Amino acid sequence: MAVGLFTACGSDGDTGGDADTAEDFDFSCPERTDGDPQIDEAANESQPFVFGTPGDPTSLDPILASDGETFRVNRQVFDTLLDADCTDTVPGLAESFEQNEEGTEWTFHLREGVTFHDGAALDGAAVCANFDRWANFKGGFQSPNFTYYYSSVFGGFAENDPAMGVEAESIFEGCEADGLTATIKISHYTSSFPGAFTLESLSIISPDSIAAVADVEIPAADSPLPEYTQTVGTLAGTGPYKLQDWNHSEQEVTLVRNDEYWGEPAHVKTIIFKTISDETARRQALEAGDIHGYDLAAPADAQALIDAGYQVPIRGVFNLLYLAYTQGHAPLEDHAVREALSYAVDRQRIVDSVLPAGGMVATQFMPPSLEGYSEDVATYDYDTEKAKELLAEAGQEDLTLTFCYPTDVTRPYMPAPKDIFDIIASDLEAAGVTVEARPITWVEYIPTTRSGECPLYLLGWTGDFADPYNFLGTWFAAPSTEWGFDNQEVFDTIAAANTEPDAAARVDLWKTANETVMEELPGLPISSSPPSIAFAPNVYPPDVSPLTREDFSQVSFTTGS
Amino acid sequence: MTIARIEKLDRLIEASVSAREAQTGSLLRQSLRRLKRSPMAVTGGVIVGLFVVVAVLGPFIAPYDPTAQTWGKEVFLNRNIFPGPRAENWFGLDHLGRDMFSRMIVGARQTLLVGIVATLIGFVAGAALGGVAAAAGTFGGRWGERVEAVIMRTVDVALAIPMLLLALSVAALLGPSLSTVMIAVGVAQIPIFARLLRGSMLAQAHSDYVLAAISLGVPKGRIVVSHILPNSLGPVIVQATLVLATAIIEAAALSYLGLGNPDPGSPEWGTMLADAQRFLSGAPQLAIYPAVGIIVTALGFTLLGEAMRESLDPRLRRQE
Repeated sequence: MAVGLFTACGSDGDTGGDADTAEDFDFSCPERTDGDPQIDEAANESQPFVFGTPGDPTSLDPILASDGETFRVNRQVFDTLLDADCTDTVPGLAESFEQNEEGTEWTFHLREGVTFHDGAALDGAAVCANFDRWANFKGGFQSPNFTYYYSSVFGGFAENDPAMGVEAESIFEGCEADGLTATIKISHYTSSFPGAFTLESLSIISPDSIAAVADVEIPAADSPLPEYTQTVGTLAGTGPYKLQDWNHSEQEVTLVRNDEYWGEPAHVKTIIFKTISDETARRQALEAGDIHGYDLAAPADAQALIDAGYQVPIRGVFNLLYLAYTQGHAPLEDHAVREALSYAVDRQRIVDSVLPAGGMVATQFMPPSLEGYSEDVATYDYDTEKAKELLAEAGQEDLTLTFCYPTDVTRPYMPAPKDIFDIIASDLEAAGVTVEARPITWVEYIPTTRSGECPLYLLGWTGDFADPYNFLGTWFAAPSTEWGFDNQEVFDTIAAANTEPDAAARVDLWKTANETVMEELPGLPISSSPPSIAFAPNVYPPDVSPLTREDFSQVSFTTGS
Repeated sequence: MTIARIEKLDRLIEASVSAREAQTGSLLRQSLRRLKRSPMAVTGGVIVGLFVVVAVLGPFIAPYDPTAQTWGKEVFLNRNIFPGPRAENWFGLDHLGRDMFSRMIVGARQTLLVGIVATLIGFVAGAALGGVAAAAGTFGGRWGERVEAVIMRTVDVALAIPMLLLALSVAALLGPSLSTVMIAVGVAQIPIFARLLRGSMLAQAHSDYVLAAISLGVPKGRIVVSHILPNSLGPVIVQATLVLATAIIEAAALSYLGLGNPDPGSPEWGTMLADAQRFLSGAPQLAIYPAVGIIVTALGFTLLGEAMRESLDPRLRRQE
C-alpha cells in the first residue's frame, strides 16, 4: 500500500494509507471529532454565511425539483414527514409513524405546535392537502421533467395524462387526516417506504400556499417552470430558514432565520447560496474570504485546503458512477461485446488517480453500504487481453463507438468527467475499439443520454434514501430509452424485491437482483466516492451527509484563534 | 494593433509603387539580399524553419505515441502527483500519463496546419473580395463603384469587430472541431486581406504602366489579372506571414476556450494549455511547455514577417 512519500516534518500519528476494498471502508457516519462549536454570536447575527454552490437551484416548489442544487436550498426552508440522519430514517415533521402489516397504510403522528412561515398550523389535514395536490396533478405537472420523484415513488397520478408519458398506475389510494395524524394509503407495498417520505421533493408546504397556486397550469412537458417557482413569497414551509430573495442575475438565494422554528433554531441569521460554477473559482472565492464554504471541491484541492487550515470534512460514500451501454446501438445488444468493454476498463486507475481519497471501485449498481449488496456478482476485472479475445470472438475487431461525456460540470459522483472519459477511452482503444468523443454541455446532457442517443455515456446517481430501489429501481425497473434493453428477468427480480414486505427475504431478493443486473450488464458500474465539501477555518460546518443533505441550521461562525 | 499594422502596410503599398516606378534593379533580388543581412529575419527564419521541420517530421521523430497513456498509473490528479522530466520522458508526463515531449512535437503539426489553413482561407477569400472591389471600382463605372462601396463598407464593419469575438461567433455557430478553428480564424482575417489587396491594387491602378496598357487598348480584365494583381501581391504576402503568427495564437486561444478539436486525445498546443490550467498549482510545467511553444513560434513568424516588410520597403533601405 502506497503511503504518502512527502510528509511534513515532525508529523506524528499519521496513519496514512489507502483503503482498497469494501471491508476497509466505514460507511457509517463517524462521530464528529471537532467538539462543540465556540459560537460567535455577534458574527452569526451580523454577517451572512455565504456558501458557494456548483449550480443554480431550479424551482422553489420542492415537488417540481429533482436535482441536488435545488434540494440544498429547499431543505433549509421546507420539512419532510421523516428526515435522514446519515442514511437512517429519523423523525421529521412526524414524531413517529406506524405501518400496517401489509405495508399499505402509513400513519404519521405529527409534532405539536408546528407553524408554517405564513402562520398556518401543521396538522393532518395540511399533510393530506399536499398528498392530494400531488396525486391530482394535471397536464404538464405529470411530466417526469417536473415531478420525477413523485411518479417514481407513486407510479402515476389519479388521472394519468397519456400525453405526458406516465403510464404506470398510481399506488396512492388516499390520505386520511385526524387531528395531528395523517394516514397515507397505498395499493401495495414497496420497499421505497418509509425512505421515500424523507425525499425533499415530498416536502410539506402550507395549505394556504397550495390554495394560492391551485390554478397554476403547466401546459406541456417542455413548458418552462411556472412563475411562482422562480420568486420567493408564494410558498411557505416549516423549515429553520425562510426564503428572503432569489436574485437570478447575481445567482444568489438568500435565506433568513425562522425564529419560530419548531426544532433547534438556526445559528446564523442570514445564509446566502451563491452559484459559482467553476470549481477553481469556488476555491479562490473561499481563499479570498468571499464565501465561507463550497461544495464539490476538486480532489486535488482538498489536501492543499487542509494544509492551509481550511476544513474538508469527509462525507460517507453513497453514490455511483457508471458507464452506460445503450442497447439499440449495434453491436451493444451482443452480450459478449458488453463484456469485452467491461473487461477493457481499468476502474482501479480511475479510483486511484482521479477520484477523491476514499473512493472505491463499484462491482454493482449500488454502494456497499446498502442491504442487498451482493458479494457474488460477476465483476469483470480489468483484463485487456480478455477484452480483445471477446471482441474477436464476436467478430467486432473493427468496432467504433460514440462516447458521450459532459463538458462543463462536476458531479458529486464524478469530479472530472473529461479525465475519466480520457482514461476509459484510452482503455477501450487499447482493446481495439475506436472511440468517437462526443462532448455535450450539461444542460443538454441529461435529455440526450435519457433519449438513448449516446451508445456509451458517463452518468451517476447520489442516493436519496437507504433503499436499493432508489438505485436499481431508478434505472432498471422497466424498459427505458436510456438503457435500451428489454430483459424481463431483470424487471421481474427488481419488482419482486421491491414489493416483498419481509425484510430478510427482501435482502436476498435484492442480492439476486444485483446478480441478475450484472449478468445482463446494461452498463459498467465504475465507482463510489465521497464528494468533497470545504469550509473556512472560522466556521462550524454542518454534519456532512452521504446523501449530500446538509442541514445549514447547524452552521455557525466560531470565535477563537 | 491591427490598425497600426495596416497603416504600416499601407505605407508599404505606396512605397512599392514608387519603387516600381523608379525601377532601380530587381526589387525582389534587393529585398532578398537585405533579408539575409537582417538579424531579425535570420532569427525568425531559423525559428520558423525549425518549427516547420518538427511539424513535418513530428510523428516520425517523437519517441512515444503521444496519445498512449503508457504511464497512466504514475500520475495522480487527485493528489497533485505529476512526474516531471526524467531520462525516459524528457518533459515529464501530462495529467493522463502521456509523454509530454512527444505530445509537444506531434502537437506542432496541428498548430502549423491550423495556422496555414486559416491563413489560406483569409488570404483567398480576402484577396477575392479586395480584388473584385478594386477592379470594379477602377473599371466598372458607376455600378462598379457601388459594388466596391458595398464590399468595402461590409469589410470595414467586420474590421471593427474584435478579431477574437468574430472568431468566437463563427466557432459557436459551427460547433467545436479543428476545422471550426481553422475557419473561424481564417474568416476573422478576411477583412484585413481584402482591405490590403484593394489598397494595393488601387495604388497600382494609377501607375504609368497601367496607363500605358490602357492606351494600348489592352482589355480591362487582362490589365487587372496580368498586370495590376501580380504587382499588388507583395504587401499581401507579407501580411500572410504576419497573419500566420496571429492565427497560431488565435487558434490556441479558441482551443483553450474549448472550441477546438473535441477529441481530447490528439495533441494540440492550445488544448494542452487548456487542460493544464486545471493543474496549474500542482504542475505548472504542463502549462509552460505549450505556452512557450506558442510564444516562440508566433515570435518566429512575426520576426520573419516584419523583416520581410522592412526589406520590401525601399524607404527603410539602409545606405548600401
